[in-house]
Amino acid sequence: MTVTQPGQSHSLPQGREHVVCTEDEIPPGEHRVFPIGRHGVGVYNVNGVFYAIANYCPHEGGPLCTGRVHGRSVVADHAPGGAGVVRDGEFIYCPWHQWGFELATGTTAVKPEWSIRTYPVKVLDQKVIVTA
Amino acid sequence: MTMIETHERVPSTERVAVRVVDSDVHPVPRPAEFAEYIPDVARKHYLNHKIGDTINYDAPDYAHAKAMRVDTFPAGGGFPGSDPELAFHQLILGAGSDIGVLEPGGRNHFIPEVTQALKIATNHWLANHWLDRTNNWHQRWRGSICVAVEDPQGAAREIEYWAGHEYMSQVLINAEPRPAWGDPRYDPIWAAAVKHGLPVSCHLSRGYHEELPAPPVGLPSYNHDFMVTYSMLAANQVLSLVFDGTFERFPTLKIVLVEHAFTWILPLMWRMDAIYIARRGDLPDLRRKPSEYVKDHIKFTTQPLDYPEDKLELTRAMEWMEADKILLFSSDYPHWTYDDPRWLIKHLPDGMRMRIMHENGIETYLNVPRTVPKLDGQQFVY
Amino acid sequence: MEPPAQPAEPAPSPAQPTRVIDASVHVFFRSNDDLRDYMREPFASRGIPDVEMDWYGAPGGEYVPWAERPGMYPGSDPDFTGQQLFGDRGDRSDRGDHGDHGDPGVDLAILHPMTRGCGPDRHLVSATLAAHNEMLARRWLEHPVYGDRFRGTIRLNPEDIEGALQELERWRDHPRMVQIGVPLQSHALYGKPQFWPLWEAAADAGLPVAVHIETGTGVDSAPTPSGPPRTYPQYVGFMGLNYIYHLMNMIAEGVFERFPHLKVVFADGGGDLLTPLIWRMDTFGRPHLEQTPWAPDIPSDYLPGHVQFIFGALDGPGQDAAMAAEWLAMTGKEDMFMYGSSYPHWHTSDPYTLPAHWTDAQRDKVLFGNAAQLYGLEQAVQPA
Repeated sequence: MTVTQPGQSHSLPQGREHVVCTEDEIPPGEHRVFPIGRHGVGVYNVNGVFYAIANYCPHEGGPLCTGRVHGRSVVADHAPGGAGVVRDGEFIYCPWHQWGFELATGTTAVKPEWSIRTYPVKVLDQKVIVTA
Repeated sequence: MTMIETHERVPSTERVAVRVVDSDVHPVPRPAEFAEYIPDVARKHYLNHKIGDTINYDAPDYAHAKAMRVDTFPAGGGFPGSDPELAFHQLILGAGSDIGVLEPGGRNHFIPEVTQALKIATNHWLANHWLDRTNNWHQRWRGSICVAVEDPQGAAREIEYWAGHEYMSQVLINAEPRPAWGDPRYDPIWAAAVKHGLPVSCHLSRGYHEELPAPPVGLPSYNHDFMVTYSMLAANQVLSLVFDGTFERFPTLKIVLVEHAFTWILPLMWRMDAIYIARRGDLPDLRRKPSEYVKDHIKFTTQPLDYPEDKLELTRAMEWMEADKILLFSSDYPHWTYDDPRWLIKHLPDGMRMRIMHENGIETYLNVPRTVPKLDGQQFVY
Repeated sequence: MEPPAQPAEPAPSPAQPTRVIDASVHVFFRSNDDLRDYMREPFASRGIPDVEMDWYGAPGGEYVPWAERPGMYPGSDPDFTGQQLFGDRGDRSDRGDHGDHGDPGVDLAILHPMTRGCGPDRHLVSATLAAHNEMLARRWLEHPVYGDRFRGTIRLNPEDIEGALQELERWRDHPRMVQIGVPLQSHALYGKPQFWPLWEAAADAGLPVAVHIETGTGVDSAPTPSGPPRTYPQYVGFMGLNYIYHLMNMIAEGVFERFPHLKVVFADGGGDLLTPLIWRMDTFGRPHLEQTPWAPDIPSDYLPGHVQFIFGALDGPGQDAAMAAEWLAMTGKEDMFMYGSSYPHWHTSDPYTLPAHWTDAQRDKVLFGNAAQLYGLEQAVQPA
């Protein structure tokens, strides 16, 4: 197991467990990017649950974790405008072409075959551990 | 993105071959950088009242992304495309475009001479802030002589003024003013362009009121159907240029349609050829099939690349349209519909790559050389 | 009003099982007097434009010469039209086509009345359209000789939804009315909600919606996004392509999501443009879903079963194009194209001059299969 710091200048090897930070260093609604692998790995705290994704969009290769996290639009017949947003904070949108992906699964209902890479995350003794 | 600080501001004496000519890069002035260039004729119209954000047909997440690549906002503040240094790092060094053809947008006005004055300001600003010795030390930026197509005489004067500038590579017009370009009122623009060997590029500028690309049957509802059907405006310009005999009047005229997509030209060429055969009597001035005028006179930029689920279908369509004759690579940096050259090239048939990525650009544009000074740390696309 | 149709010579009975549906035949009144005979006051005494246009009319005339006879407006006489459509094609050298002599005529024809423009007064337009429907039913669909080989289009005015629904009620159960017809010209795109009651009613009646360029002089916008064209070829080249705006808007507005049984026929050709434009719409579909959750699927998923095109004389990559079959298969066009002649217009096309390199299966689909399925005419058209 290796200890990984954000901003670390060299990339860390893939395929092992990385202790990336402590739990309180990524409060709910926030994320940090760690230099694991070729593109980096983003670790997101969504309402207390941690998810990790590759900082790489499968569409054109954009730096995914630079994008904004928000919810998903749905039809809301009785709301002004007829639409609303659900599950705020659970989707990452690519900074280039605004393709959205569910952080928990890396996928999207529209085109499931275009999914992003996700990694297992666990919290042990307040330490956030990513297997990537 | 690879950030490499380049402290050396003199070009290397070692030269490398131009491999990527990027036909669509968007610089914007920093706040307060532009006003000093505005001629008096436009000053009272342009600066006489406060103007807010005029967005309609908003791109996704507009309030946060502003229709830009989110990662192109300069760290110190400012708008994407306002920092030549960042653009150089991201696009030239990082993505591997060797030449960036700069296409400023900017405001238009309902009085043609006012728009022309704003274009004049844009050209001086571009020459002084991007094409100057400081910002173009690497010799990678090329400029556009921006003109208001709705003021043909003024446009021709502006072309004359800038022709001969070592880094001005094309004339740039907007797609929306009416009527379509086959109308002889535009002939002074084509005449000035061909006199100096400049291609005339057209970029969509969206616009308001009568300068919206208003479909004859009603306005789209969303940015989605709006931006997709924008191609129809360009399709109609092609119909007009060809059937009105523009290329017979100007046998050396080169037109570049930027960011209008291109796969539609394949069935449009068939359609025009079929009409030509059926209605030849209506077209006494045409001496060739419409598709031949397209292939000899019109170029299309690759971005935004529209591709099918089955990539082979795109390859086949490109073969049938002879895409190696009509396409120029473009990225649209820093807009949200950016296409990275390293991604785009993967979609080109092998035998077409050199032509589309750089050969056609070198042949089409003025002042685009075959070699440029070498840059340390530049990404190599292919 | 209408004198009883004189029995003409019997319809030539097909020598082989039926196999061509002409999905776009244009029919007309004989004259303005004839039209006014079918109209009631106060509308019969109103000013009504002729069917021909001033601006953008075809130089040399709108119709193929062989469909014209002295004193007879082309497409206005069911006996003559029936003979031209259904009769043995014989020597067609006067028609400038190159099919084999002796090709049989088509088996069924979908008739589409050409009317008098999208006028500003919705009452007058609806009354004019009603007269066309009445004429179509009485003169053509109930024709003693050819009636069982004609199918009709109920012309409705989308700028008068209430009137259109009323007119639809009047005809929806007519056994030979197979679709409703609306103009390609419009002031608002057909995805917009003011039109939804009409689409809903058409879907409910099991009738496709045919969108066709309206003849006559209406209060339309210029026919291209850059204003008036200077040449007729540019007019022809662009005008039919205006369907793209309607189609993309209907997809983005979720019309096919809302009305799963709605079917739309774009009847002016230009269907080849669908392939690049739907590629384009798909490419930018995913990010824009956040603005249009009422259309949650990738745009091209809304095409199958919902959208058809007439395949006409100006369509396709050319009769000799070797890649015609491959192109037709792209984006599912082989299931969306229906042969339509546009008789008697100058660009009338022949069913025997389709691209030579289509597969047999593709040719069968375009010549009759797709139309038979769309209009429920499988019984009437038995494949060989």
